[in-house]
Amino acid sequence: MNILKTLVAAALATAALAVPQAQASTLKQVEAHGVLKVGMLVDFPPFGLMSTAGKPEGYDADTAKALAKYMGVKVQLVPVTGPNRIPYLLSGQVDVLVASLGITPDRAKRVDFSRPYAGIEIMVYGKKSVKVTDAKDLAGKSLAVVRASTQDQAVTKIAPKSTIIRRFDDDAAAVQALMSGQTPLMGVSNVVAAQINKAKPGEFNEKFALATQVQGIAVVPGSTKLLAKINDFIAHAMKDGTMDKISEKWLGTKIQPFVRNGSVKAALAAKK
Amino acid sequence: MYHFNFTPVFDNFDLLLYGAWLTVRLSFAAMVLGLVVSVLGAVARTSRFRGLHWIVGAYVEVIRNTPFLVQIFFLYFGLPAIGISLGPNLAALIALVVNVGAYGTEIARAGIESVPRGQVEAGRALGLGPLQIFRYIIFRPALRNVYPALTSQFIYLMLTSSVVSTISANDLASAGADLNAKTFASFEIYLVVTALYLALSLLFSGLFRALQGALFNYPASR
Repeated sequence: MNILKTLVAAALATAALAVPQAQASTLKQVEAHGVLKVGMLVDFPPFGLMSTAGKPEGYDADTAKALAKYMGVKVQLVPVTGPNRIPYLLSGQVDVLVASLGITPDRAKRVDFSRPYAGIEIMVYGKKSVKVTDAKDLAGKSLAVVRASTQDQAVTKIAPKSTIIRRFDDDAAAVQALMSGQTPLMGVSNVVAAQINKAKPGEFNEKFALATQVQGIAVVPGSTKLLAKINDFIAHAMKDGTMDKISEKWLGTKIQPFVRNGSVKAALAAKK
Repeated sequence: MYHFNFTPVFDNFDLLLYGAWLTVRLSFAAMVLGLVVSVLGAVARTSRFRGLHWIVGAYVEVIRNTPFLVQIFFLYFGLPAIGISLGPNLAALIALVVNVGAYGTEIARAGIESVPRGQVEAGRALGLGPLQIFRYIIFRPALRNVYPALTSQFIYLMLTSSVVSTISANDLASAGADLNAKTFASFEIYLVVTALYLALSLLFSGLFRALQGALFNYPASR
């Protein structure tokens, strides 16, 4: 029995050793290599996707390229997936993550976040001519949502009783209801709103936000100098219009105030 | 062993009943209007006017050879492009009437054609007018002959009406989907929804049987 225990303990110890320890990528190392290895998603359009030529592109890719340019190094984009992106970073296979990583308290325990560089917002969106500025104005109006989506839950919670919430099975049908004029309003994310705006420019606009989630660039905890450099980059890119250009290209709008004025602290406080 | 938990279902039973009530109203209205369309369609289809014959034929072929889902999307999402905006419940009703009308036309036509020519000639010999001949000699026996086929089409219409939840009409299927999205008790919810549809089907077929007894209890000619 004792032998067994020892064996198990030994096995566990070995396993623990085998797990790669978090290695802080220092700014110096990156600069010495001349390459910034960036982990990004390629299955999360329009933030990260594969181009028809098989290269990663999107909001995250453009941000990563601008970051590397600012640091004066080359960029290497490494495709990661949702579940393995943090292990990729912590095991040192990438220097930073520009992987649409939402700033949440759980993740903040494992990685250090930069200030927000992007954000996902769900909102009430609709025809320009419809006057709606807050939940009260929804009274008596009809609004399309995808059944059981976060928008559905948010709208159901705040809308007055007389609001007619029309629930559809998917984005396509709900968007169709808005575009065909069956409902003047819709609960939607900024990503889908950008697609609607592309299809029918200038016909619809945002009425008010339901909820927001900001995304940060992540580094291994303790990479203080690297993080400071990234924060400098974001501040700079916000000011000189680089981020606006990226945002307009992929989301159809300039950087929203909740991203521009957001901070890690505020994002974490909002999730508590 | 799966543990049944019907609490979410029975706590929200009013939602399901409200949905079932819309399904009943929608189906009943579509059956009545659909019967009218079917009879008119069948008369046109058996008439001597070539144009009328062709128009109704085209209607029947188009509707019977396209999916109901596409028809309902066309009415709800497509028509607003030419300025006709129907609410989900009205669009659902029209789609159901148009759909069942096409199938009903063919069924009713079969009924009319099943009435022996000689019977009509006998009526004419007795000095009956064309309307009287249609009413007493063609329509009633025709309907009696195809009654089972027509009523099973109507039951099928009631079940098909579950598709209208895709255009956000608040029928029984949509109430079930909403409840499922809220509580995730899929097994219990759809068990109860299935039971409710079954109950509605039995209710309608009971009604049809009672009507049959009242309308067609005269002795058969053959």
